[in-house]
Amino acid sequence: MDFNGLSIDQAPPISAPLRFFLTAPLFAIFAGFLIFFSDASALMSRYSLESIVVTHAITIGFFGFIMLGALTQMLPVLAGAKIPKVKFATTYSHLLLSFGALFMFLGLLQNNALFTSIAFVALGSGFMMILIPIALAIKGVSNFTATVKSMANSIAFAFLIVFMGLFLLYSYISGNMSELHATIANIHSVLAIFGFAGILIIGVSFQVLPMFYVAPKFKNFCKRRVIWLIPAGLLLWSALNIFDETYALLAKFWITLFFWAFATTVWKKLSARRRPISDVTVWYWRSASIFLTLGAFLWIFDEYFKHEYIVMVAILIGGGFIMSIMTGMLYKIVPFLVWFHLNAMGYMSIPTMNEMINKKLAALQFILFIASLIGFVFAFYMPLLLEISAVCFILSMAILEYNIISVALVYMKTKKTKPEFDMSAFK
Amino acid sequence: MSTIKEYMTQDHGRCDELFATMEEKATKSLESAKEACQEFVSETERHFQMEERIMFLEFETKTGMTQGPTAMMRHEHVQMRSLMKQMLEAIDAGNKDKFFGLSETLMILIQQHNMKEEQMLYTMVQQHLSADSDRIVSMMESMIVE
Repeated sequence: MDFNGLSIDQAPPISAPLRFFLTAPLFAIFAGFLIFFSDASALMSRYSLESIVVTHAITIGFFGFIMLGALTQMLPVLAGAKIPKVKFATTYSHLLLSFGALFMFLGLLQNNALFTSIAFVALGSGFMMILIPIALAIKGVSNFTATVKSMANSIAFAFLIVFMGLFLLYSYISGNMSELHATIANIHSVLAIFGFAGILIIGVSFQVLPMFYVAPKFKNFCKRRVIWLIPAGLLLWSALNIFDETYALLAKFWITLFFWAFATTVWKKLSARRRPISDVTVWYWRSASIFLTLGAFLWIFDEYFKHEYIVMVAILIGGGFIMSIMTGMLYKIVPFLVWFHLNAMGYMSIPTMNEMINKKLAALQFILFIASLIGFVFAFYMPLLLEISAVCFILSMAILEYNIISVALVYMKTKKTKPEFDMSAFK
Repeated sequence: MSTIKEYMTQDHGRCDELFATMEEKATKSLESAKEACQEFVSETERHFQMEERIMFLEFETKTGMTQGPTAMMRHEHVQMRSLMKQMLEAIDAGNKDKFFGLSETLMILIQQHNMKEEQMLYTMVQQHLSADSDRIVSMMESMIVE
């Protein structure tokens, strides 16, 4: 049995997850500027280069970075798994992925094959450098709980979408689009959202909702079944898309049904929670639940309208569901990490988690974010809304960055000023 | 009789319940939560002592591991005791914000501590001490808190 997760010395250094968390909002700000300066009509099509770049600034830069950062932190605690060479893996994968993403955006927007080639190598090696150690860590887990299973599934989908993404990116370098390009792009995006991100969120929520909000635990039936019912639906949907598209809608119903059920369950669990406090993170779970429900239904509805609404579905599910939850969780994870690491070093008189974040600024950040999402959705009918929504989005992400930096500064300051150790706890 | 793992895992659940009751009362008024807080603190202390004075000692004697997982768990107990002490002080000072800040931090710390114990340490203890399981459980049950 491996006890590495039990020791603070072998838990990842705070810089491992923090570097990912601190970079994520910067990519979102970049996406906001790109939306601001893009033509509304270009963003209406999911396959325009502008749309692809904006989407990947959010999906690689924001979702990917937060998930990878969180996995390095959660695996030791939730599963007792130690990620081999965690410091090396996080430092270099973070660098490679950051530059890889930027080169991909430049390469695509300027149609520069050299930049796209650099991106191909950097993104490919960056993802492998972090995904392989995570997969190895999961492989060594002895107690395979539902959450660990969901992590394993999520990582399997991560490998799949990275390979598909590299294949798609390569066609921009070679200039040859295969016949299956659009089909693979579609599968790549669905597996990324529902497979990599969706399953991980569901698995982590089994632990996090009872832990943070003292909400009732999820039923064992949900935990055991959902973890393979959703991947099965996703694989079925992918296969049908390639071989027999006429039946793909059935698999889509399957996937939607479980995600909608999850949204409803989250809402009900939160309503039944024992911890009465309502803070910005609870609002984020609530908004995620609403947006996921709307997005899931619109995804089905979209089938009957020649996929006219697919970008709106992406805003509702990507922005409203996934981004909401990840932002909300940052407000919990970052202060806890700082508190935990300082406390483990012996500093007992430090601010508590909820003292580290300015509540008014967090509320403002939430309001701006939700306003921007609603604005983006209605920009379909009123393109004028696009710019003002982009401004709201940029502001909200800038405040988010400020809020997390201010927590990280508590850590830096405490370490630097080295207040006297408070030994009262040992008496 | 339940195994060490079952007995201690159940005790975690019991403490969680006391914690939730304390927080519910504290939302209404801090004053009304004082008794619940004291009960939670003393029951948690009892749980810590069952581990530190009985289970960890037996485990350390049997395996010779004194600087391993039990040292880490002891360290986390110190962290939690400090938070609980500060919570009682916050109640006396009537500082609701401080109280909930501390209770939130404590809750997360407890949950991840419990997870490590339930998923790893207790399983290992049960493996090494299965022959002495009944004796250890009855010693823990009859222990008097110092």
